[in-house]
Amino acid sequence: MLKGFGTFLLKELKELMRDPKILLPMIVVPLVMFPVLGGVVGYAMQAAQEQAIKAALVVVNNDCGNWSNTFINFLQGLSAMGFNLTIYTESNIKPLSEKVLELLSKYNTTQILEIPDGFSQNITIHFNNPNVRAYVRLYSVLRGTSVFENIGSSAVDALIGMFNRQHAPDILYSEKATVIKGEVKYGVDPMAVSGLLMYQSIVLPMMVLLLISYAPQIAAASMAVEKEEKTLETLLTLPIDRLAILWGKLLSSIIVAAIGAVVYTAGYSYTLGSVMAGTPARLNVDLAALGLVPSTLGYLLLGLSLFVTIVSVLALSVILAAFAEDVRGAQALVGNIYPMIFLPSIALIYLDINTLPLAFKLVLFAIPFSHPMIASKAIIVGDLWTVTLGIIYVSAFTLVVMYAASKLFATEKILTAKIKFKGLKKRKGVSAEES
Amino acid sequence: MEASNVVKVFGSVHALDGLSFKVKPGEIYGLIGPNGAGKTTALRVVSTLLLPTAGTVKVFGLDVVEKAAEVRRIISYLPEEAGAYRYLSGWEYLEFMAKFSAKSKDEVRAMVAEAAEICGLGERLKDKTKTYSKGMKRRLLVARALMAKPKLAILDEPTSGLDVIHSYHVREIIKKYVREHGVTVLLSSHNMLEVEHLCDRVALINKGRLVAEGSPQELKEKYGCSNLEEVFAKVVKIA
Repeated sequence: MLKGFGTFLLKELKELMRDPKILLPMIVVPLVMFPVLGGVVGYAMQAAQEQAIKAALVVVNNDCGNWSNTFINFLQGLSAMGFNLTIYTESNIKPLSEKVLELLSKYNTTQILEIPDGFSQNITIHFNNPNVRAYVRLYSVLRGTSVFENIGSSAVDALIGMFNRQHAPDILYSEKATVIKGEVKYGVDPMAVSGLLMYQSIVLPMMVLLLISYAPQIAAASMAVEKEEKTLETLLTLPIDRLAILWGKLLSSIIVAAIGAVVYTAGYSYTLGSVMAGTPARLNVDLAALGLVPSTLGYLLLGLSLFVTIVSVLALSVILAAFAEDVRGAQALVGNIYPMIFLPSIALIYLDINTLPLAFKLVLFAIPFSHPMIASKAIIVGDLWTVTLGIIYVSAFTLVVMYAASKLFATEKILTAKIKFKGLKKRKGVSAEES
Repeated sequence: MEASNVVKVFGSVHALDGLSFKVKPGEIYGLIGPNGAGKTTALRVVSTLLLPTAGTVKVFGLDVVEKAAEVRRIISYLPEEAGAYRYLSGWEYLEFMAKFSAKSKDEVRAMVAEAAEICGLGERLKDKTKTYSKGMKRRLLVARALMAKPKLAILDEPTSGLDVIHSYHVREIIKKYVREHGVTVLLSSHNMLEVEHLCDRVALINKGRLVAEGSPQELKEKYGCSNLEEVFAKVVKIA
């Protein structure tokens, strides 16, 4: 063992554990962040399950035979068994495909179950010839790309399974149709589409997330190292525009962060691609054919949203770093922005913002750093208005932060302002008093 | 360079409390005083880093508050604990700094060559500055401060932390440069020997105020002391 290693290690541990700058982001922030994150995921799962259980299902009986009535009675009887399932029945709507949107709107639901013509006849034949089976067709609306989006449709599959167990195995199966952007796509399982969208909508947000989490560390370090290495004073007395220093730091951080993000995304994409290669063939859905690939304008807007957000994060990081005495202090200060970046981002992977309660939705919209993530999902479903409004909001926020940063750089505060962690009091001019 | 009734307040601390002094063109003027006297604060105000709470400072007729950008074009400031960019070589560092003052590539080359001669680091200029000793780094920084031939060089403890040999070398650099290029120098120092050796005139400051001023010889005669150290002790005690 190296001589003195143990003593030095103990000193280091003491120093770190007694430093509030380390304690705050390392212990306190996760203590707050993970329970909140757990709460968000828990809420999402609970909401999805409740939605599935409380599902309102429109059953369209286009068969009107004995077995279709038995099936509807079975569904209605589930309420008595504790299922919070509301069944609305309609009869003889042919062809249903033309009335799907009207019915969904009329009953304010997302799922329609059609009992097609010949349903009763097929079941009757099934008892003599098991190769003949009856089917019901489930129309589901694809609304978003949240992880729990389609628990509702799988719940209907479970109901069919229960019916089969009561009567005969494999007597009934379901066919799936998905309503995407107002159009009925037959043979498309909403779960498969949702799964693929998840895949598509994870790579993009992950890149966004990596970029906006990388960049602040770099910007903060580049600012703090000027103080730590005692080069800032010299720099500020040179004939150079103070804003050139600010922008130089912002831009170099963006470039380095972008390189990092591309490398990480490539690695992430490769890994995810390898995982996806082993998924069942039923996931082979052509998203472009379904109109679920972002448009060029969508990508441009996402780029713009990302750019303004990164500039705001960087400017905020540089401001925070200016209050630190060294790199470690700066990184600790910038660490306080991370919950604002990660919480909404991770929440948005699990949740569809459109289905959230208004208050929750407003909180997510109010956090500027959540907008690239919102945008990356919105462009997939063609909601460019949300993206545009987000860009306007984040731009306004960025202008405010940039104004504050430029003010800080233009005055002596860039040199003298400090945050003293003991009591978290801002202290000014300490270094200038050392003469 | 002229400072008139300069006050600088940090919270409840009066770092400068009506400090006034004048530096003539081409002279080396030293600020001396105990720790916390306000030397560094005064130099930071002159170099446009800090704004005076009251009073005025003019550098060759330019007000350091109103004409800060113009003042920065004619001064060069060497902070007491200045560092160089760790991952740049000495050459790269000098080149980076020269580009802010030079108007052409030729001028940059000339400045860097001048700085290389001043610091005397030779081949070591090709190495990254993180590999330099404290003395080498200080010589590089002094060379950086002088290479642009500023009208006013502001040097805070130019030999801070250096051993005798390195201190001697840096002092010789400053003296030679002033003699050859007519640069005006405002410096602060704790080292009385250095001040006596280098400065044409000195100001003794205490608690943010000027308590004595004159050439080293004048001060020694006035206070009946054999060296500046005694003058310093006597004046500060009186003050």
